[in-house]
Amino acid sequence: MAAKSQKITGALITKGIQFSGFSSILFVLLIMFFLFYQGIPALFDVPLGDLFSQRWYPIESLYGIVPLILGSLIVTLGASLIAVPFGVITAIYIAEIAPRWLAEIMKPLVELLAGLPSVVLGFLGILIVSPFLRDVLNLPTGLTAFTGSLLLGGIAIPTIVSISEDALKNVPVSYRQGSYALGVTQWQTIWSVTVPAARRGILTAIMLGLGRTIGETMTVMMVTGNAPVMPASFMALFMPIRTMTATIASEMGEVAGGSPHYHVLFFIGLILFLFTLAVNIVVSRISTQQLKRSERILS
Amino acid sequence: MTLGVDDEKGKLNGIEGTKLKQFLYNSSVMIKRKTIRILLPLYMGVICLTGCQNLMANNPGHAANSGTRVYMEDKGSDTMVNLALYWAERYQELNPEVSISVTGGGTGTGIAALISKSASIANASRKIEAEEVALANLNGIEPHELVVARDAIAVIINRQNPINQLTLQQLSDIYSGKIENWSQIGGENRPIVKLSRETNSGTHVYFLESVIRLGNPNDKTIFSADTLLLPSSEGIITEVRDNPNAIGYDGLGYVTEDVKTLAISEDSGKPFFLPNVETVKQNLYPIARDLYMYTNGEPTGELLNYLDWILSFEGQQIVQELGFVPVNK
Amino acid sequence: MTDKIIVENFSLTYSDGTESLFDVDIHIPGNKITALIGPAGGGKSTFLRIFNRLNDLADVREVRGNVLIDDVDILDPELDVIALRRKIGIVFSRPLPLPLTIYQNVSYGLEIAGERNKNKLNAGVEHALQMAELWEEVKGRLFDSAYSLSGGQQQRLCLARTLALEPEIILLDEPTSALDPVATAKIESSLSELKNQYTIIIAPHNTQQAGRIADYVAFFLQGRMIEFSSVENIFTRPVDERTQDYISGKFG
Repeated sequence: MAAKSQKITGALITKGIQFSGFSSILFVLLIMFFLFYQGIPALFDVPLGDLFSQRWYPIESLYGIVPLILGSLIVTLGASLIAVPFGVITAIYIAEIAPRWLAEIMKPLVELLAGLPSVVLGFLGILIVSPFLRDVLNLPTGLTAFTGSLLLGGIAIPTIVSISEDALKNVPVSYRQGSYALGVTQWQTIWSVTVPAARRGILTAIMLGLGRTIGETMTVMMVTGNAPVMPASFMALFMPIRTMTATIASEMGEVAGGSPHYHVLFFIGLILFLFTLAVNIVVSRISTQQLKRSERILS
Repeated sequence: MTLGVDDEKGKLNGIEGTKLKQFLYNSSVMIKRKTIRILLPLYMGVICLTGCQNLMANNPGHAANSGTRVYMEDKGSDTMVNLALYWAERYQELNPEVSISVTGGGTGTGIAALISKSASIANASRKIEAEEVALANLNGIEPHELVVARDAIAVIINRQNPINQLTLQQLSDIYSGKIENWSQIGGENRPIVKLSRETNSGTHVYFLESVIRLGNPNDKTIFSADTLLLPSSEGIITEVRDNPNAIGYDGLGYVTEDVKTLAISEDSGKPFFLPNVETVKQNLYPIARDLYMYTNGEPTGELLNYLDWILSFEGQQIVQELGFVPVNK
Repeated sequence: MTDKIIVENFSLTYSDGTESLFDVDIHIPGNKITALIGPAGGGKSTFLRIFNRLNDLADVREVRGNVLIDDVDILDPELDVIALRRKIGIVFSRPLPLPLTIYQNVSYGLEIAGERNKNKLNAGVEHALQMAELWEEVKGRLFDSAYSLSGGQQQRLCLARTLALEPEIILLDEPTSALDPVATAKIESSLSELKNQYTIIIAPHNTQQAGRIADYVAFFLQGRMIEFSSVENIFTRPVDERTQDYISGKFG
């Protein structure tokens, strides 16, 4: 009798877990369906030439999304220029060089940074970073793509540091010992053994960190000025720009359902979705590359 | 940093305390707005797909009939959100059985909420548009208009900037990108950084039509692309306070002592006026507008009582306290 | 018999208090194979790592005593540890090549040591692989990943990479524990060849291995060196009762 009820409980639990698993897939598919359903009509509402023109001013039905796409890309690019070297080097320092007590303080602190609400970062940006950049770089205004990049770098760094550090820590100690035993210095070991051995984890960290920045909304909305200017050169990094996320966030509330503006906003969401999808595909390709037999046994 | 902290400390008492409150309030509204705007359509989509009723709908008529508690949702213009909040608070003190929930989000958002029946009052800093009326009628809503206050749009610059006055034409040229340096209008040799509210703000639309296009409905001039579109009034005030290159505009009620308010004239040769209650009442200050509340059809019951109270002496006194201009009944 | 290595009154404590050494005295002869035997946790690995100062990387609380190699005090904080490590190679228990090609694994140490000449590098790599008895098996695929080798081949590659630096002393920490008997035999035969040129200290992975290849044996128990003698003495006429018990398998 007891065995039978146990069997039933087991079956119920299995079903429950199955349901949870499938439901998350279902939700993702529903969201995707909804994005396509609401976004694709933009291609029919707005002539393609207008959609990919250079002026965004929806009040006058100017739906050029090119400056928004470039705006998002330039902020992300700037963030990666800051976050990748800084994050990887910090991870190396924590994993390889810092004394243990310092590493034990630093890592949780860096991870705490990840929990900082982006609106708080935005305030810091408006009150401190933006005036500082305006004065130091002598810019017309401190609300620029670069300000956004700096703060988004701050958002990406904890992810990059945390995952890279784990990857470095997972490099077998014997790699390092083997290298040291050959009379190799610490820096040479880090450069030519430890970092290459952890490269897959570090790449994953970078992609995940940057994936976070491209979808970030609140901070960029507060500090990049939101001016839909076409970035013309590298100097556009130091000019105001408008990102895709900020556009959706600030305009979705007012828009009449079913209007061309509404569909175009969803179309932007779709582009954003495809961007992050691409990032995720790259990450999963890096991290699930078939491990070689010996690496599987030994790691 | 210390500068900012000192400023906030200075505001902690008296009427300045409300500025801080409003600052904090608006930032929380901003967060909420963000998530709601992104999630709501998806959430609604899921709900519709699963065949549920629209739970967001909220009919004040029902609430009024059900007896003791009366519930009203008041939503819209960010310019008016403080005013609406003060009215609601005071009115609830006087009438404990009434509860009024006030949210911002912009005029467009408020009207959209009225149309989708999720708000019983829409605050608007511009007149409802023909398209919106059509959409409302389609949903069985008859928007009813009431002017509840008047507002002047103050044009503000940094205190260091020597400019004191501008004509409407000069303002139009600045915002459309024809004038790009302060030296072109007699100021220092500095680039002009133009600040504006986002396009969902009634203030933005009003400024576009009345200032940039100088009231000409056939004019198709728009904001130049490098105009910074900031998500909140505080963002504009902060940037103007700190940046000597900046020019911005905002509702008179939001302008603080930290920035310089410009005197405006309708045309060169005509007199310049600073915005204040007197110049707005006498129609001397050229950038002033009516603020509206829209309801579904002629208001009745508790809703009518509330709107009547807003237009009463007590309601209009609050208007004046908050830096807006009362309407004479 | 010349004493290559002299250890006097040596004590070592880890910061968490585990696996320490107490008052170890030992004179290790050159050009012989000396085996360190004893139960796990007795301090053999720690002792091995003294000589190339790999313990520097671990959390060591305190070190006392003297360790002299060719009459040079290697515990001197001023000592050039990098140079010391080039002189004293080590092979670990698990065959872990660096994540590089077969060739690079052997040439890596030489290149870091400053060797740039291609011909000398090639010659050095070939010589080292031959001494480790691996050359014949890999000469056709030197630029494959080191992980394409079998476990036994990888271990001989690690030996080769150590030999490439032409050290004076080779330390082996249970070098055959992860290998099958055939691979083990190959390693053992290499070692017997090598002892003519090198001083070898090995922590064998069982007592029998010590009997097969060692000239001298030191018995370690709970951080103390109990007995040091020639392999015949230890296995046939141990002085200490505990050595007797360990050899005869009463504990282990």
